[in-house]
Amino acid sequence: MSTVPAAHRGDHEESDVTVRGTRVRMLAAGSGTPLLYLHGSGDLGLWPPALTELAKTHRVYRPDHPGFSGSDDKDGIDSVHDLAFHYLDLLDELEVREVVLVGSSLGGWIAADLATIEPRRVSRLVLVAAAGVRAEDVPTPDIFVHSPVELAELLYHDDDLKAAAVDRARGMDGDPELFERYLRNQIATAHLGWNPYMHDPKLPHRLHRITAPTLILWGARDRLLPVGYAHRWAELLPKAETAIVDDAGHLPLIERPAAALDVLRTFLGRGTRP
Amino acid sequence: MRFFGFHLMPYPYLPESHLSGGESSWVTLSNANFDPRRGHELYQRYLRELVYYDEMGFDGICVNEHHQTAYGLMPSPNVTAALLVPQTKGKIAVLGNAIPLRDHPMRVAEEIAMLDVISGGRIISGFVRGIGAEYHTFSMDPTGSRERFYEAHDLIIKSWTEPGPFEWYGKHYKLRNVNPWPRPLQQPHPPIWSPSQGSVETVDWSARRRYTYVQTYSEIDTVKRAFDGYREAAERHGYTARPDQLGWSIPIYVADTDEQARREAAVHLGFLFNALMRMPKDLFFPAGYLTLKSATRVLSAKRGLGSGANDPEELMDRGYALAGSPETVRQRLTEYQRELGFGTFSGIFQFGSLGHEEFLRSVTLFAEQVMPALRPLAEDDASASAAPSPSTH
Repeated sequence: MSTVPAAHRGDHEESDVTVRGTRVRMLAAGSGTPLLYLHGSGDLGLWPPALTELAKTHRVYRPDHPGFSGSDDKDGIDSVHDLAFHYLDLLDELEVREVVLVGSSLGGWIAADLATIEPRRVSRLVLVAAAGVRAEDVPTPDIFVHSPVELAELLYHDDDLKAAAVDRARGMDGDPELFERYLRNQIATAHLGWNPYMHDPKLPHRLHRITAPTLILWGARDRLLPVGYAHRWAELLPKAETAIVDDAGHLPLIERPAAALDVLRTFLGRGTRP
Repeated sequence: MRFFGFHLMPYPYLPESHLSGGESSWVTLSNANFDPRRGHELYQRYLRELVYYDEMGFDGICVNEHHQTAYGLMPSPNVTAALLVPQTKGKIAVLGNAIPLRDHPMRVAEEIAMLDVISGGRIISGFVRGIGAEYHTFSMDPTGSRERFYEAHDLIIKSWTEPGPFEWYGKHYKLRNVNPWPRPLQQPHPPIWSPSQGSVETVDWSARRRYTYVQTYSEIDTVKRAFDGYREAAERHGYTARPDQLGWSIPIYVADTDEQARREAAVHLGFLFNALMRMPKDLFFPAGYLTLKSATRVLSAKRGLGSGANDPEELMDRGYALAGSPETVRQRLTEYQRELGFGTFSGIFQFGSLGHEEFLRSVTLFAEQVMPALRPLAEDDASASAAPSPSTH
């Protein structure tokens, strides 16, 4: 193990993990069944409070993707498929054989891809407003033409949360370090999802390989990936359950944590794969 | 000093709602706004204007490449150059081909070689990355732009200078048979120009390759920094840069009096900088188009090109553009030449919504009353500029 001793940050620990030569920043908490949370592209390296709840029953790992936030760049990461292999290597490094996989947005795309490569390694799969597939006739905004403020407006449904996010985005003007982190994450995202736009046309042909019970979790008011995308995932994963969280945008775990965690706990508490 | 006449081929007939609004003039400005009949007339006029530079004794003319915009109607600079070859005697600088945007760089190698052979060796080959917005035009990943640029450049130069066929297995291009017919007439290859707004990396790369570096759309301090950077880089790479290796490209307007020149230029500079160049920053500088360090600086700046909020008078005062009587322009250019040390001047005499008569008068005044006096500046280099640039790959 090349994990360095963790520093405690309130309700979670922070440490560095080296995965085949690349240092990644790891946030973790709790004990129990391993759960790997894969973050979205707009995530600036934070620990979502909902993970503290999940850490009551699970060992929760929340790494920064290579090229994002506190992790180093990694040569050869040119697609989400490459990132999926990176996460298989990370699980090896953590000596985790079987994992609950939860991915939000870009992270959901990585999670779905990983589950097609080593299906039996994933005991549960949760796709939260996952990118990765394309729904014809469901228009989406282009995240690459919008400013930080515009993206903040698109992310949330609740007016207060939206206003707070817009304030934070405006605040990046006076915080060069945070702005640089935002830009670096945007660059890494563009490299993965510029064209084809935030999806992999090959993925639908491989999704049948997924064996884990799967939950598709979506905010009813998602404007980045409208709920039509939840229906597209449901078509492609006919055995999956779908849960739509009312009055939530693209980040239901952050915007409506109680409602989203209710669904999640029920799903995770049920028996394992048949 | 050698003189080139640049032309942007703008489309000026935009609806008032667009001009007074804040929408982008790039990528998303609907092509329903392009009237092909008026476009036909514009092309006829613009091509005549380019030929006029040649007739008036300019050393060459410059054409360029831009996409999905009213800023310029030359998505293919090689088509424009081809039309001008039989109508001109001087150089034709293609500034340039945006090589990372092409699926296949060998198409550029072939087309430039064709133009060079047909024109009897009058082609200058500019290479650019294309502006950030053009990575939205083609949905091309901007994070690989610089890498693709360098690899496409290396491939094209090798295809011009080493006998084919050979294999090329790079990161972005993988070819079993590189063997372009025709080869260029100029040896070892046509001169390469490298236009930029002053990126440190591009300045150093151009100096290392001994390419002519052309500074575009910048205030004087930036021009000076880039030219100084080029000369220092040249020394680092073991030689002293000649003035003709430094090119300055600038919108310019000459009229009978200073007052008239500035008044008339202001209208069209406003149109160029505030309407035709207007686009949101996130379109102008897509993620990864700039290095992280440059992006942090550029994107946090409040104003600048593309913002639609530039004062034409200020643009002229800060050296983004030059307007005046022949005497004033002669004086200013002489001062600038002494201060900046460039030996290649590329005047953008047609910009914004400038009319044909004003263009002809401005070019005539410049050619007859400005150019002759400036010719002897940087004279030591006139002979050197005729020699092909050494290939240093």
